[in-house]
Amino acid sequence: MLRKLLRVRCEYLVRRWASTDPLSFHNEKLQTYLESLRQEYYALRVNAAGNSNLYARLSRLDPVVNSLEKHRAMQRNITSEKDLAAEKDEDMRALMEEENSVYADLLRKQEEAMLHELLALSDDEDYPALIFEVNAGAGGQEAMLFAQELYDMYTSYFEHMGWEYEEFDRETTDIGGLRHANLQVNDPEAYNWLRFEAGVHRVQRVPATEKSGRIHTSTASITVIPRPADVQVQIAERDLKIETKRASGAGGQHVNTTDSAVRVVHIPSGLAVESQSERSQLKNRELAIKRLQAKLIQQQLESTEASKKATRKAQQGNLNRNEKIRTYNFVQDRVTDHRVQQGGTLHNLSGFLEGGQQLSGLIERLQLEHRRQTLVDLLQTWKPPAQEAADKN
Amino acid sequence: MFKYLTQPLRRTAQIAKRSFCNSKLSGSSAKITAAKTATPTVSPLIEVRDALNGWEDKLKEAGVNDIDFNLKCIVSHVLQRKFNTVPDDFAQLKFNSEQLVDFERFLEARCARMPLQHIIGEWDFMDITLKTAPTVFIPRPETEEFVRLVIENYRKVEHVNMLEVGCGSGAMSLSMLHALPQVDATAIERSKAATKLVWENAKMLGLQERFKVHNHTMETDNYLPEELKDKQYDLIISNPPYVKTEEFQFLHPEVVVYENLNALDGGSDGLRVARLVFELACRHLRPGGKLWLELGNEHPPLVKTIMNLQYQGRLNFVNSYEDQYKRERFVQLEKV
Repeated sequence: MLRKLLRVRCEYLVRRWASTDPLSFHNEKLQTYLESLRQEYYALRVNAAGNSNLYARLSRLDPVVNSLEKHRAMQRNITSEKDLAAEKDEDMRALMEEENSVYADLLRKQEEAMLHELLALSDDEDYPALIFEVNAGAGGQEAMLFAQELYDMYTSYFEHMGWEYEEFDRETTDIGGLRHANLQVNDPEAYNWLRFEAGVHRVQRVPATEKSGRIHTSTASITVIPRPADVQVQIAERDLKIETKRASGAGGQHVNTTDSAVRVVHIPSGLAVESQSERSQLKNRELAIKRLQAKLIQQQLESTEASKKATRKAQQGNLNRNEKIRTYNFVQDRVTDHRVQQGGTLHNLSGFLEGGQQLSGLIERLQLEHRRQTLVDLLQTWKPPAQEAADKN
Repeated sequence: MFKYLTQPLRRTAQIAKRSFCNSKLSGSSAKITAAKTATPTVSPLIEVRDALNGWEDKLKEAGVNDIDFNLKCIVSHVLQRKFNTVPDDFAQLKFNSEQLVDFERFLEARCARMPLQHIIGEWDFMDITLKTAPTVFIPRPETEEFVRLVIENYRKVEHVNMLEVGCGSGAMSLSMLHALPQVDATAIERSKAATKLVWENAKMLGLQERFKVHNHTMETDNYLPEELKDKQYDLIISNPPYVKTEEFQFLHPEVVVYENLNALDGGSDGLRVARLVFELACRHLRPGGKLWLELGNEHPPLVKTIMNLQYQGRLNFVNSYEDQYKRERFVQLEKV
């Protein structure tokens, strides 16, 4: 009797907790939200023909609705309490209860899977490519060495994830450091991962350049600029003015001037880019045009309103210079991510810097947290369609 | 006439060459004596910035252009580092005493107007790095533009059987092979030393499988070596000597003193060798095959006239193109 009372009390508590946690499956609002997604899904199935945007939405809804349907089918299998009470046979009732507990277990797993799908749905921004920048920050040569290590870490991370990337610009220093680098990552998945890496990264260690063994703190920053599909820069050859140092006079076999430095001016925008980092003039010209293209894309991105918002969002870490997102402490062989409340510290720093599973795991956690937050925000502002219509009236 | 003009220059060049070789010897003998005394003295390091002191003025006095670039090339060569990893301001770079000796020897040679590419022994052409030697003509930046143009025209062609006439260091053929996997190239070259060098370059770049070079001098009625007598090509490229004999007096000392004049002298109108190439193309291009030539400033209209007057029914003038300095210099011809 006492045990039965206790169980009733427990169930009541769980239900109460569930209705306050917005992401619990038993939350009423989440339930209505799911139902509206289901209805949207079936409406789209009828109407989506020929519209690629609607198709995209449909394919994103598919896994959520699928697991919702599975959940409902399972729920039907559970014997209700009323039937359970009506059952007279003790053995039969025990069997039913056992069956119910198995189903309850399955249901819980299905709920988790559904939540996972639902969370993936909350990534509302889709970009086919992004521009990824590494810049050395405060700390001179040591900061540049650290920037190079970050650069290596991220390029091997891109390879780990199987993303294609190309380098637009990279300026190195003579002792193996990096002033800045500018890459384009061509993968629609990349933005939803790399957006969490934008911000200030801090390193604490005894630098190779330090003679008296003191620990220094230096920084490097990462910028991630999403590149929407509609941003495309075509540079027409007639719009370019290419300048070299060669004075007028005969060319070709008549002279032997090396003449490798190139300056390219984009006449419509007035942007000018120089390159003299290679011995071959043609290589320098190709490099300069690539840099020019990157600049034009950046300019265009900054001018479109939508991406302005996205850029700012992605770089919140950059708005406040003191706001570091992660510390790499070599002395204690640890990495601490300051945005993760619990367990944000990882050990085995050299393994982390390889840009493989460890980095990937950390980003995944950040991503999950972010998705949770967006879903909670969404549910808070979301109103069921019927209610919305009522409000309008 | 021409000889008198260049004689004094040649003399200074000889002195420079001699000191270039001597110091090479003295450098190594110094090493031997150091080894004999066997005192492990750590040679003092010299800041590159300090070592540069005064050389800028000396180079300027000698009439060298683009001094910063020259210095950077030589510094990176002495330090045996890739050009694009050396900072423009040479911050924190140091020479040891041997490197300092080399550095000053190279700059001395540069002041005597020895071409930079001969001093450092290699040069970049498009995406490849080539060994250079005094016997071989140094590829020019315009030739990069020429090759780029040819590559763009053949990017989508399935298979190209190409011949180059007078390949020098191999810059054009090897760049084509490097950029386009569907190209097979054969080259002829009159200089034995260049033939050897271009083969070395091909092996260094791993392109020897698709490349052949023959040591052969093109003459009237003896255009190709015996083993290629019956060959037909889809494409012939050439950068033949096109400097008019009368223009030799205006050339830079780097060119007239140090470069192989065989690779420059194009006769009285600059087209002596080009005319031989026209004849060769008539015999060894397949119908519809193309001949691309890099020539001098005034040549394309002249070539057009020659085609119309002398090659009707054999070669057609297709088009002419400008180099990156907006000079009309490149021509495309077609076998009828």
